[in-house]
Amino acid sequence: MFYYLAQADITSSFSIVALANQLLNGISIVGILLLTGLGLAITFGVMRIINLAHGEFIMLGAYVTFLLQSTFNLDLLLTIPFSFLITATIGALVEVSIIRRLYGRPLETLLATWGLSIVLQGVIKLIFTAQLKYVKAPAYISGNLTFLADAEGSPMIAISYYRLFIVFIALVLLALTSYLLYNTDLGRQVRAVTQNRDMAKCLGVNTSLVDMITFAYGCGLAGVAGTVISSLKSVSPPMGQDYLVDAWMTVVTGGVDKLIGVLAGAFLIGESNAGIAYLLNDPVARVIVLAAVIVLIRYKPEGLFTIQKRS
Amino acid sequence: MDKKNQQPFYNFGRRKFLKYGSLAVGTGILAACSGGASSSNEDLGENPIKVGVMYSTTGTIAIVEKSLQDATFLAIEQINTGTGPWSGKGEGIEGRKIQKVVVNPDSNWDLYNQMSKRLIDEDQVVCVLGCYTSASRKSVLPVFEEKDSILYYPVYYEGNECSSNVFYTGAAPNQQITDSIPYCYKNFGAKGFFIGSDYIYPKESNRIAKAELEKIGGKVVGDEYAALGTTEFITIINKIKQAKPDFVLSNLVGDSIPAFYRQYKDAGITADKIPIMAYPTTEEEILAMGTEYAAGHYTSFNYFQTVDTPENKAFVEQFKAMFGKNRVTNGVMEAAYLQTFFMAQAMGDALKAGKELNTKTIREYTRGQKFQAPQGLVKIDPDNYHTYLYSRIGKWKADGQAEIVFSTPAAVKPIAWSQTLYPGRVCTRPTPDDRSSPIKETGKDLQVKYLEKI
Repeated sequence: MFYYLAQADITSSFSIVALANQLLNGISIVGILLLTGLGLAITFGVMRIINLAHGEFIMLGAYVTFLLQSTFNLDLLLTIPFSFLITATIGALVEVSIIRRLYGRPLETLLATWGLSIVLQGVIKLIFTAQLKYVKAPAYISGNLTFLADAEGSPMIAISYYRLFIVFIALVLLALTSYLLYNTDLGRQVRAVTQNRDMAKCLGVNTSLVDMITFAYGCGLAGVAGTVISSLKSVSPPMGQDYLVDAWMTVVTGGVDKLIGVLAGAFLIGESNAGIAYLLNDPVARVIVLAAVIVLIRYKPEGLFTIQKRS
Repeated sequence: MDKKNQQPFYNFGRRKFLKYGSLAVGTGILAACSGGASSSNEDLGENPIKVGVMYSTTGTIAIVEKSLQDATFLAIEQINTGTGPWSGKGEGIEGRKIQKVVVNPDSNWDLYNQMSKRLIDEDQVVCVLGCYTSASRKSVLPVFEEKDSILYYPVYYEGNECSSNVFYTGAAPNQQITDSIPYCYKNFGAKGFFIGSDYIYPKESNRIAKAELEKIGGKVVGDEYAALGTTEFITIINKIKQAKPDFVLSNLVGDSIPAFYRQYKDAGITADKIPIMAYPTTEEEILAMGTEYAAGHYTSFNYFQTVDTPENKAFVEQFKAMFGKNRVTNGVMEAAYLQTFFMAQAMGDALKAGKELNTKTIREYTRGQKFQAPQGLVKIDPDNYHTYLYSRIGKWKADGQAEIVFSTPAAVKPIAWSQTLYPGRVCTRPTPDDRSSPIKETGKDLQVKYLEKI
């Protein structure tokens, strides 16, 4: 039936095929939002840390990949575990040295992580200079998945394999994170600490260790996001700033109590952005989506997916 | 957020407000101070000439402006040591060395304004080399005009300006757009899809290009802008696919460029099907995106690293020796480099004539100044303070360097106003410049004029 519609509308300027193409490609925006939002869903959603340096951990992941590629000529896929480990280690250090001292003081945390983001950008700029860096995409994930062909035989609906690969990685990480959080002892401890820190402590949970691991894991996820995105976008010290706002919108829209909220938030924002951008243009779409998120937060301050709680 | 979590915000009393308020203000002041002027400590002999160097080395535009600063430093170094194009003229300008006063406006348009005031009032520099984006130039223009000081501006720009306080050493519209649009029409086809970053330069530049294309019978089938710093181009690429243009004209700047070219190829559009003609895409961005993504696409610029002149060979060699083997040179850097020599030559001529160095003498002596630059012989137009520059089109090869497929026989006389949009409008300043309004409507078709070789 879809095929039928497509055939009927092929000649008009507002083509249903092009819109379908756009919505399919919107999936790739969803993938990137999900990937960048996931780490934040851990640090903010689970730990309630307002982490303004989240974008810089994405940037660090991208630079780890750049470094490994330029010195050891490693394949992008092989650098993923390294960038996870390195950003997670830096995350753990940050938690121990800064965040830990500021629990329960959201304003100070906000200022401290903001400062941290400036420092991280500065350090990376000193080491690697401000020049844009080049990260090579793996050659075997190139080309496009295509559907439908027009009269000349060129495909009308297409999405690149690399963008599908990003969506795949994002979904795998989401599944892995939910498994860790809901089906393991560590996950149970993390949730216990989130719900009632003092009680968890009384019951013998090592809360400071749990905090450190959780924060490090969230930062590691951001690092993986940076690695995967780096070959499709630009690698430079301020790159993280671009993702910070989007990641926050995703997490806040979806609600922070359940991981599935991140998926929902990413899907809503990504697809509506793609759709509106196609009908109007990119800057306008961004304004409309931001405004919509603000309205949504006004009426549903806890996001779309929340757990009913007694307050 | 539940009630409990909101409490700290409600208790945000006067004391706390003062605490955080002063903290925030303090950070701001600290940032401004650390971004303040720094003068070099090297031995500059007696009575050095103070020159302001104003490029952002932090923030989003730093990627480009840092390389302009590097090129400027190389030129100043060569002048102070009497090497490179300055060999044979001794160390410094008539024995006086250049003391650079460096400020960093942090990619913030307001800071450009403040920093330029500071350079002129407190540091009392003779003139300033700097700025990259049109937004920053527009921000400092009132300062230079009000305080009557001189800015050397090294960037291709949208035109429609003719200040007696700015020397424009980058391309005017007629040195970049006017040749590239007919080239696209002839070699690729009539339908163009125009894209750009969402601010003044790309929009004006595309408006001029659109007028040029329509004048020769072409058609603009799409016109799309992305916010500065955008790295997601799936929508624009989708619209390009649907519009099926013969070529894409790109006025994207900064980190958007690598992202766009990569996603363009990734989406399955090849350079032989729909080539991209770009203005701000240079060797530097090509290196960052990976050379295979740019191969087969085009850029219109005054200078490419592959320009075959002895001056250019020396420039590339000296630049790499100073800043590293893996660096590349590009058109904006070359302009930043050559304008420093324009300035030095003007100062030299003024000193030789026994004049004091001030705005008036520098202005009069810069007018008509000639320099054998890496791109070829160039000259400051004495009438409109823009620069006679070559107009070239390069096709990117797989090694990240350009094959020059079009070049004017000599440097082209600059015209500050797009003649398609404002036919016959010229800018002619009297000698000496009395800072009166220079705009004249001649109502005539201006012919292309080339600079005569020596």
